Amino acid sequence: MFLHILKYELKNGLRTKDLIIWLILFPIGLGICFKVAFGGIYDKTEKFSTIPVAVVEESDNAAFRQVLDNITSADDPFLKVTYADRAAAEKLLDEGEVEGIIFSGDKLSLTVKEKGLPETMLKSFVEQYTVKEKIVTDAISTSPEKAQEVITALTENTASSCKEIPLTQGNPDVYIQYFYNLIAMVAMFGCNTGMHITIQNQANLSALGARNNCSPAHKSVSILAGLAGSFIMETFCMILCVSFLAFVLKVDFGERLWLVYPAAIMGGMLGVSFGFFVGSLTRVGEKAKVALMTAVSMLMCFCSGLMLANMKAIIEDKLPWFNRINPAAVISDSFYCLNIDEGYERFISKLLTMAAITAVFVFLGFISSRRKKYASI
Amino acid sequence: MQVFKAMLKVMRKRFPSALVYIIVFITVSVMVTKASTKDNKFEASTLDICVFDEDDTPESRALVEFLGKSNDIAEIKNDRKAITDALYYKRINYALVINGGYAEKLKAGETADLFGSYHLDESFSTVYISQFLDEYVSSVNAYLTMGRSADEAIAATEEALSQETQVDMLRVDKAGNSHFSVDFSGYFRYMPYILISVILSVVCLALITMNKKDIRYRTNCSALKNSSYTFQMFFGSFLFVFCIWLILIIIGAFLNEEMYTGRAWLAVLNSFIFSMVIAALAVLISSFEPKDNIMSLITQITGLGMSFFCGVFIPMEMLSSGVKSFARFLPAYWYVRANDMIAEIEPYSLNDVLQCYLIQLLFAAALIFVTLLVRRLRYSSASIGSAVKKAAANS
Repeated sequence: MFLHILKYELKNGLRTKDLIIWLILFPIGLGICFKVAFGGIYDKTEKFSTIPVAVVEESDNAAFRQVLDNITSADDPFLKVTYADRAAAEKLLDEGEVEGIIFSGDKLSLTVKEKGLPETMLKSFVEQYTVKEKIVTDAISTSPEKAQEVITALTENTASSCKEIPLTQGNPDVYIQYFYNLIAMVAMFGCNTGMHITIQNQANLSALGARNNCSPAHKSVSILAGLAGSFIMETFCMILCVSFLAFVLKVDFGERLWLVYPAAIMGGMLGVSFGFFVGSLTRVGEKAKVALMTAVSMLMCFCSGLMLANMKAIIEDKLPWFNRINPAAVISDSFYCLNIDEGYERFISKLLTMAAITAVFVFLGFISSRRKKYASI
Repeated sequence: MQVFKAMLKVMRKRFPSALVYIIVFITVSVMVTKASTKDNKFEASTLDICVFDEDDTPESRALVEFLGKSNDIAEIKNDRKAITDALYYKRINYALVINGGYAEKLKAGETADLFGSYHLDESFSTVYISQFLDEYVSSVNAYLTMGRSADEAIAATEEALSQETQVDMLRVDKAGNSHFSVDFSGYFRYMPYILISVILSVVCLALITMNKKDIRYRTNCSALKNSSYTFQMFFGSFLFVFCIWLILIIIGAFLNEEMYTGRAWLAVLNSFIFSMVIAALAVLISSFEPKDNIMSLITQITGLGMSFFCGVFIPMEMLSSGVKSFARFLPAYWYVRANDMIAEIEPYSLNDVLQCYLIQLLFAAALIFVTLLVRRLRYSSASIGSAVKKAAANS
């Protein structure tokens, strides 16, 4: 009987258009949108790259030119300098070809178009030059005999005072969060398939439920078969989703892509069991349940950062325990741990959390769908 | 006006779902405009830095205090994972360790390995703070070379580093009389997403309901003239679109805290033209009579897709050139372009703005043309005849 019901459950699932639309087509569409929008944003805004700058020489300032030449001739130059007259420089700035214009005369001044970190760095660069000038003047006025020594100390290339302590080999791009949360969203959408199990097994919710109730199959068997069918379908959708992201959109999941699959599948099961639980919880109609569940799962995804990447960090600040139990956050965190951590402790603890939440939902679902026979509903 | 009345009734029923979009949009806009400033003055970015002071001497504390003057010092648990998380999620931009023996080495004139920094990636903030530290150390060193004491050297360095350079914003003088600040232009920039979502989800569903086979057959055999029927449908749809647009514009005026003036009217006109394009799109989609679930997929994909591809959610300069050249075939691209020019994010030229209007109007015209074509093919007596035959064969 189990296999019979399972077979029809799967057939039913394959013919449900909603399933194909929301678990396969929509994630693919959204994934493409995310890739288009967030694919290059990290390299363009966060990651350090040479800052293009225009220099307008209002009067001769050989010392400043010397400094610029030193910088641009380095291996990994911090600035890319274009010399231009005022009109040409303003045109370059307006078109976004350079980040700022340095006017070099008796005093340096800076013109920028936006407020941001590269602009702040240009400001700091100009200030550093004035600082050096001031130090040299100070040296000449207070201890002229050491002035030469001071100048050498200031201009010689000293080793960096700061040593980097590497933290991870993973992908540091924070925008990849959107893809993690996309997978979490597909997992949570699995609740719709989970809910149908109850609808199809409770006589007052659907005609199919009425038919199933008067069949000789034991209720626990038909529910188990339904759960198994939903798990299989959801697993298929999760594999498709992760593969599409990893191989078609080329999202970098770090070194351990093969472990992303089991985490995603576990997440899918969590979503299904959540739907099963909500479906069996109350005696309200299908529409209200769908609305409730969609709202709750979207809220979970929102808190996990589907719409706003740093939402999770904000919640971590205010309500850290919520991130530990919010299913969408746990699912997306498991991918994050896999990417960033070297060990497996956090990843495994996320998987265990998922398994525990799944077990609780399934258990509660069974408890509340017990004894809902014709006599009691 | 029975058709018109019926249509309004259907739209009223569909409206609550659209209201969710509008409320969320307005809440977010209120938060964003409250946080923004109207003046176009340059402010240096402040970074969030966490410092682990392993030296804990007056010298190291002086450095921390000095760093805190132009940045925010954050507290993070001294644990590798906590630091990684904080750096990854940008709760802090830089994690600095002042190594033990910092004060000693500084006084001795050594500059290497004074600090450590937890390193996630080579970002602008890491380069910026590293440069700042190098500068600080070499300045202290220079003053020490002059024969000053350590305290004096630090004080002199702080004084020297506190000099501010004058930074001008390009076009700062124009921003005062353009009446359309860059920050406020964000309200108009996000508008396409709301217009698409609301108009498609309400107008399309209403048109589909009115177009359902049984209802359409009933209307067709009534005494109502066909042209009057079409007119009432169009009138109903455009009235709804107009109302939604008007609501958004009125709320915009409140957020702007003054009536639109000068160039801001160009942005208002731009959004009006765009809502007409979307109205035409809604009519086209509804003539294919998609099912409810397909319709919501179309709404989501059109809304999100156009917003992501055309620079609504993400500034256009972040998009790759391939995406941008594809986006030219979407009306929202021209809307955003015009909006950017009006706000002077891009160089402003009235001719270019008018050109963007014109292209959007051409999109609307093309959509109306295709709609007429589709309707003629689908609703012609021949195709209705074959549909009736099919239905009869099935029953």
